[in-house]
Amino acid sequence: MGAQVSTAGMIVTLLKKDFLAFSRDRIYSILSLAALILFIVVFWIFPMTVDESITVGISHHDLGMLLDADGEEGIELLVFPSEALLRSVISGDAEAWIGDDGKLIIRDVTDGESRPSGASKATVLVGLSFPEQFIISTAMGQQTTVTVYTNQDTPPEIRGAMVSFIREIAFMLAGSPLPVTEPDAEEIVLGTDRMGDQVSMRDRMRPMLAFFVLMMETFALASLIAAEISHKTITAILATPAKASHVLTAKTLFGTMLAMGQAIILLLATVSFSADNWLMLLVAVFLGALIFTSIAMVVGSMGKDFITTLFLSMLFTIPLAIPAFGVMFPGSTAPWVRIIPSYGIMQVLMDVTVYGMSWGDAWIYLTIAALWAAGLSAVGLTILKRKVVRL
Amino acid sequence: MSTPAISVSSIRYSYGKQLAVDGISFDVSPGEIFGFLGPNGAGKSTTIKMLTGQLIPQDGSITILGMPVLGHNRDVHKRMGVCFEEKNLYLQMSAVENLKFFAGLHGIKDPDIKGLLQQVDLWNRAKDRVSSYSKGMRQRLMMARALINDPEVLFLDEPTDGLDPVSAKAIRDIIQKRASQGAAVLLTTHDMNEADKLSDRVAFINEGKFYAIDTPEHLKLLHGKRSATVRVKQGDEITELRIPLDEDVSGEGLKQAVGSGEVLTIHTEEATLEDIFIAMTGRGLQ
Repeated sequence: MGAQVSTAGMIVTLLKKDFLAFSRDRIYSILSLAALILFIVVFWIFPMTVDESITVGISHHDLGMLLDADGEEGIELLVFPSEALLRSVISGDAEAWIGDDGKLIIRDVTDGESRPSGASKATVLVGLSFPEQFIISTAMGQQTTVTVYTNQDTPPEIRGAMVSFIREIAFMLAGSPLPVTEPDAEEIVLGTDRMGDQVSMRDRMRPMLAFFVLMMETFALASLIAAEISHKTITAILATPAKASHVLTAKTLFGTMLAMGQAIILLLATVSFSADNWLMLLVAVFLGALIFTSIAMVVGSMGKDFITTLFLSMLFTIPLAIPAFGVMFPGSTAPWVRIIPSYGIMQVLMDVTVYGMSWGDAWIYLTIAALWAAGLSAVGLTILKRKVVRL
Repeated sequence: MSTPAISVSSIRYSYGKQLAVDGISFDVSPGEIFGFLGPNGAGKSTTIKMLTGQLIPQDGSITILGMPVLGHNRDVHKRMGVCFEEKNLYLQMSAVENLKFFAGLHGIKDPDIKGLLQQVDLWNRAKDRVSSYSKGMRQRLMMARALINDPEVLFLDEPTDGLDPVSAKAIRDIIQKRASQGAAVLLTTHDMNEADKLSDRVAFINEGKFYAIDTPEHLKLLHGKRSATVRVKQGDEITELRIPLDEDVSGEGLKQAVGSGEVLTIHTEEATLEDIFIAMTGRGLQ
């Protein structure tokens, strides 16, 4: 007969077993490793720079000095030989390609023409058609009409920008302010105005990748719990001096360490930590790991085999991905997204790594996430305990 | 008389409206093998679950090694071993790793794993993953796991169910050895041969109630019917004659049967525990 085992000793023994069982399960250990490598590779593949320029198609027979406007910040001009071709490209009936020699090639999509070799496609979102006498008329101060072609993909703000662009050209040609009335409109930018300082796709991907890492570990932990229940190995543990509370504590610690460890590796590999943000990131990742571990306990209690566990894992974790998508596509999230448990975590991961969020701004997100983590942990532990004692 | 290692008094348990155990009482002394004999669904496993703290009796009381058991009791669990009906081993771990883990839960720092695995004839496969083991090997490992803490009380739920004769004998030898060393053994089975061979006393349980508690010998004497079957050759015909020995006290019937022709074989038969069980409960053991 052995000595009395302390609670800590019991939990350490259970943790060692969980790590051994996890490492022996080829599916989950390979999946975890492969997913981690894949996410890190994906992060570094995405571009760090942001292409903020707009390609504008123009049609005019005698542009001359107008082409100097190509130096305008963020605007690239593409000269079309005719208004009809410009209109067909904007409407989607034709495509504009730029050859190796820099010449414009028009590909008729409706005729099924083959793609021009050695050429790159130009995305033309807006087209400007200047009248024949535009330069002379404008220089003389006469009123002329410039047609702006747009399609459904053209963002409204670009349409407005084009009007300003034309006005500027006219001003340049006339040499004095034109007798035009400024539109009675005001541009309101919601949230932080990132004009000229846009976030790269790589940075936007970071919270999403961290989320996927946590999700993978949810599935792995849920599967381990489901296996313990279906094989009734938990029953064998409870026939020893180990209590249900020991098992549940060990499972919580194991799940949190597993998910947190992987998320930290990802953040390290994506060079996310700095001297200022490391603690905030660790807190966010810890709370995220706790939330996902709680979900794994619920799923593990309900899952009977690989397929049901996978299905339930997806069912419970996909809603938690919504805030991560919101970070990827700013301005797309509805207000209700803020009540999703993972919202605060994703927001902190994004704002801390990209915008250098301070504790003063982060505490509210972290507090809400901590409340969610506490609530979900209570639910997860209760469901798992009920399952364990009823086996 | 020694203090019972297991003492059960009027325990009751029902799953909803389904009464599983209906007020049974019994004692098991140290060194005694007590067999629980009953068909599937008779209440054997529910009783074991209450004894091992997995279920709390809805009525009655249980004392093991002088300590009350109502759910999990660390001091009791430290001194008991359980061999479950389900082969609930960690399949992705080896036999050594399984035993080391459970030894750790019992606080045993230096368990005699080699000795235990040699006892159950698994030492040569000690480092192989349990997933590669046959059913018999897994059952023997279950037995080794139940013995890891050198328990004073052993609960064995269908320990030889579905095993080949060699594996079953190996398990039975271990049970008898542990009992001879002073462990109280509670054994559930629906195999009357096993109960007969192993148990010092058996209890017949059906629909949650006890129908009898006694030694196998005494039960057979009280309730069994002995007979002899004589096969004789009369001319070209072979006849089989069955003589009830309890009715043939003078032995005349047997003499007549033997003298009726050329005796080919004589077999005596005594009632089996299964015969007695069926006679008492009106139900078979399977």
